[in-house]
Amino acid sequence: MFFHNLKIAFRNLAKQKVLSFINISGLSIGLGCFVLFLLFAVHEFTYDRFHQNAANIYRVAEWIQTPERQGGDAFGGTPLGPAIKADFSDVKAYARIQAGFDDKFVRVNNDVTRSKISFADPQLFKMFSFKTIAGDAFTALNDKQTVVLTKEKAIQLFGRTDVVGSRVDIKMGEQYEPFVVGAVTEDIPSNSSIRYSILGSYAYLMASDMGRQSDGNWHMTIGSETYLLLDSKSNLAQDAGRLAQFRRSHMPGEEEELKKMGVWDGKGPFPVRFLLQPLKDVHTNPAIGGPSDTIDPKIIWILIAIASAILIIACINFTTIAIGRSSARAKEVGIKKVTGSRRGQLIGQFLTESILLSVFAVILGCVLAMLLLPFFNQLAGRELHFSFSQFPQLLWLLLALTLLTGLFAGIYPAFVLSSFRPIEAIKNKIRLGGSNLFTKSLVSFQFVLSIVLIISTLVLLQQLKFLRTQNIGFQKENVLVVDADGTDAKKIYPLFRQMVLSNTAFAGISASEMGMGEGKGLMGTGFQYEGETKGVIMYPVDAGFLKTMKMQLLAGRDFNPELTTDTVDAIIANEALLKDFGLTLSTAVGAELKERRFGDQLISRRIIGVVRNFNYASLKQEVRPQMFFQPPQLQPTKFYIRLRSGDPSTALAFLQAAWKKLAPEFPLRYSFLDEDMNRFYVFEERWSRVAGWAGGICIFLACLGLFGLAALTAVNRTKEIGIRKVLGASVSSIVTLLSKDFLKLVLIAFVIASPLAWLLMHKFLQEYAYRISIGWWVFILTGVVALLVAFVTIGSQALKSAVANPAKNLRTE
Amino acid sequence: MIALQHISKWYNIGGKPNFVLKDINLNIQEGEFLSIMGPSGSGKSTLLNIIGMLDLPNEGRYDFFGQSVYDMKEKHRQDLYKKNIGFIFQAYHLIDELNVYENIETPLLYQNVKSSERKAMVGDMLDRFNIVGKKDLFPSQLSGGQQQLVGIARALIAKPRLLLADEPTGNLNSKQGEEIMQLFKQLNEEEGITIIQVTHSEKNAEYGSRKIDLLDGRIQQHIKENISL
Repeated sequence: MFFHNLKIAFRNLAKQKVLSFINISGLSIGLGCFVLFLLFAVHEFTYDRFHQNAANIYRVAEWIQTPERQGGDAFGGTPLGPAIKADFSDVKAYARIQAGFDDKFVRVNNDVTRSKISFADPQLFKMFSFKTIAGDAFTALNDKQTVVLTKEKAIQLFGRTDVVGSRVDIKMGEQYEPFVVGAVTEDIPSNSSIRYSILGSYAYLMASDMGRQSDGNWHMTIGSETYLLLDSKSNLAQDAGRLAQFRRSHMPGEEEELKKMGVWDGKGPFPVRFLLQPLKDVHTNPAIGGPSDTIDPKIIWILIAIASAILIIACINFTTIAIGRSSARAKEVGIKKVTGSRRGQLIGQFLTESILLSVFAVILGCVLAMLLLPFFNQLAGRELHFSFSQFPQLLWLLLALTLLTGLFAGIYPAFVLSSFRPIEAIKNKIRLGGSNLFTKSLVSFQFVLSIVLIISTLVLLQQLKFLRTQNIGFQKENVLVVDADGTDAKKIYPLFRQMVLSNTAFAGISASEMGMGEGKGLMGTGFQYEGETKGVIMYPVDAGFLKTMKMQLLAGRDFNPELTTDTVDAIIANEALLKDFGLTLSTAVGAELKERRFGDQLISRRIIGVVRNFNYASLKQEVRPQMFFQPPQLQPTKFYIRLRSGDPSTALAFLQAAWKKLAPEFPLRYSFLDEDMNRFYVFEERWSRVAGWAGGICIFLACLGLFGLAALTAVNRTKEIGIRKVLGASVSSIVTLLSKDFLKLVLIAFVIASPLAWLLMHKFLQEYAYRISIGWWVFILTGVVALLVAFVTIGSQALKSAVANPAKNLRTE
Repeated sequence: MIALQHISKWYNIGGKPNFVLKDINLNIQEGEFLSIMGPSGSGKSTLLNIIGMLDLPNEGRYDFFGQSVYDMKEKHRQDLYKKNIGFIFQAYHLIDELNVYENIETPLLYQNVKSSERKAMVGDMLDRFNIVGKKDLFPSQLSGGQQQLVGIARALIAKPRLLLADEPTGNLNSKQGEEIMQLFKQLNEEEGITIIQVTHSEKNAEYGSRKIDLLDGRIQQHIKENISL
């Protein structure tokens, strides 16, 4: 029976080539997209689950809960790990790891490259399941001067992996230090939160200046995370009481201090506490910050929803076309019933057919997905691979997907077709056409989804353009940023500056201690004015900074390099700072603020100038109070060079040469400020592209289905069209007749989709401090485009049947 | 074998019942070859469909081998139908997507006959109708007469005791038609299969052992008298 059904299914597919093509290609595209998103979702949801101990590993985080702020931070002090292991018997092991923050110079056989260096306790390799391919990683990390490399890094540095015992020089601070490779591990899976390429011993870190300073200091963090392996029966993660007790015993003065600072009133729950975050939660909980990327699970689900929308549209195509073709299948149903088939058997037959189709489509869809994977990786910012060994669950997910798609697409037609009464079916009395209410609703639904996605894309793009072209208080174009971090920048800068200023291709140069525009962290502290304390972000810069960046002074003056007093207490504030402290442009200049330093020390600062509000951060947030100051001994890490507009290549060549002369041992690293700042909007850009592609694919699939339906309608109404033409109908009147009903559906979809899209995007835009208002033209444009595309699709079919010779059509009836 | 009592069927048009069949009483013995005649719209096909359990009357009682058909459960009735009744149509109604062999095989699939057995049964049938050479052809590749032979083979494959034919020769030329009628006669006389055919043609009706005439949904009086003889 099954083979009998398969046979009929195959022959039907072969007989109806155009419709089969529409069905299979549509479903393949839908499934291809879905498979890609599925891969993404599986990748994100399986983060860190490849460790055998994953269920018992926790990360220690600090959770802060005050009326103004709630959130967690995974960067703890260095005494935390040893203390927690000592205090609790159910903590079996701990491992601290400092992910590499900045690039260090690494020298192997006189070749210098830059790489991030991470540090970890040897226990890392006992707790986690990173595979070693050479040497012993655990014993390696017991030695201060030993490093562990990943396979990829070993090949990059040495060209091979059997490098245990080889020497690597790493520039720590001022000079190179020798290290020995102790082990090489397998490359870290893409779905791992813990990442390293060169991993040093935590003991080395603890012996450094910073490490010694942090030793025993519970209030200082050097940016390392602490992971714990708990006994499987331990309840420490759920036991807030024990953790609170632990905190009190190691940070005894904290309660008093917070009371004094007015953060805690002594009643209510204590605002700061330790929290054990399950390893499986690390990637998908953005509320707790750490060194690795996190993702809001909501985003994964939204992506899955978008992919489902595409797939549903493709399934609906199958459904509507199957219903449209029902008259052609009716006879078969009738005969089968007459020869003794029960309804259940017929339903089985039609479902076999749709599942067969879905099997084809899944295979094609997977091929399509593999072809599109590089492109999708770019879109999603991931490096995904189709790997059943990395994601064994993909296999059954794909099987389930095949079955579900087949069932979903085929269930309605199966029930409708199998319900035909045999006598009517045989006598060809059944004519559903494409015109029953259910099919119509489905077609409208397809367009609702498409239109919502397209409107969303347009709004996203508009917002993105708005964010990029907003006046941010300075000119980000034509500014080249040299990354001098880790070099002898303090020596290089004055000479480099001389050379740059001697060349007319450059309009100015300045330097700063902090990076700007790459979101790598800010410095700031509390300032006091007339008894009120507010947080302010501070930028240590050299004198020419405002001029180089082309910032606009609204009051007062710029730093004067001639005046040494300017390096003592002078600050230049922005408008947001004035507003925060209740100052005006006229009262601000000369105002004195007190800067809080460690240990309640207060230092006087005087405002000498006010600049227009500027923003180095994403415009998602409102401009914050910020200020510039000129430290007496600037330790520059970034040089900002303003180019005169025009082709930058000769200027770049000049800079390369100048740098080579001053710092031959370091490669020149540079970027353009406007490109750096665009990185703030990677999220928006990614989303607008995802939504754009999804919208495009949706409308394409919806039109594909419409095309099939229009073709069927034309066939089903051949006789009617023939008679009308004989009675004198014009071609245009017939095209109108055939198109009208479908266009009505698109119009209804537009009416439903517009408010939906508006609500959705209105909510989305609320997240931005600076946002556009949604223009009505977006809706009109989308509506017109959707109608036009639909009309072209249907019209072509309608025209074909309208110009056909009626005599011929009528004869065949 | 078949006993119809007070069978009526009507459609409501504008609130008034429009009778297709009115108070039909009919007994058919096993081994009969009955021809139902009458002009277009007299209800012949509807009567045949009711006998074939493809259609239900609005009123009346139908006994098949002494069992009341309308008191049975749907599944039971289906089984009864599958085992005992074969249908032949004017327009043959073969499944276009299946070849000759597969078309004939179809009813066996619905009776869960084993594959090896199916093969033997279909093989016999192909032999018997001399269409072994055509078993791989599709309906569109056959002449009308050949298609109808396949249709008959399909109706006979499950060894029914009752064969229902709705104008079986209506689409055939006279020579083909004659052959089909000869075949019916042979099936009836040699194998004892009960046959009920609907026909327009007096000549075809002559092949049968009895005939009834329908007019406006009623069996004509004078023929009814004949039956009671």
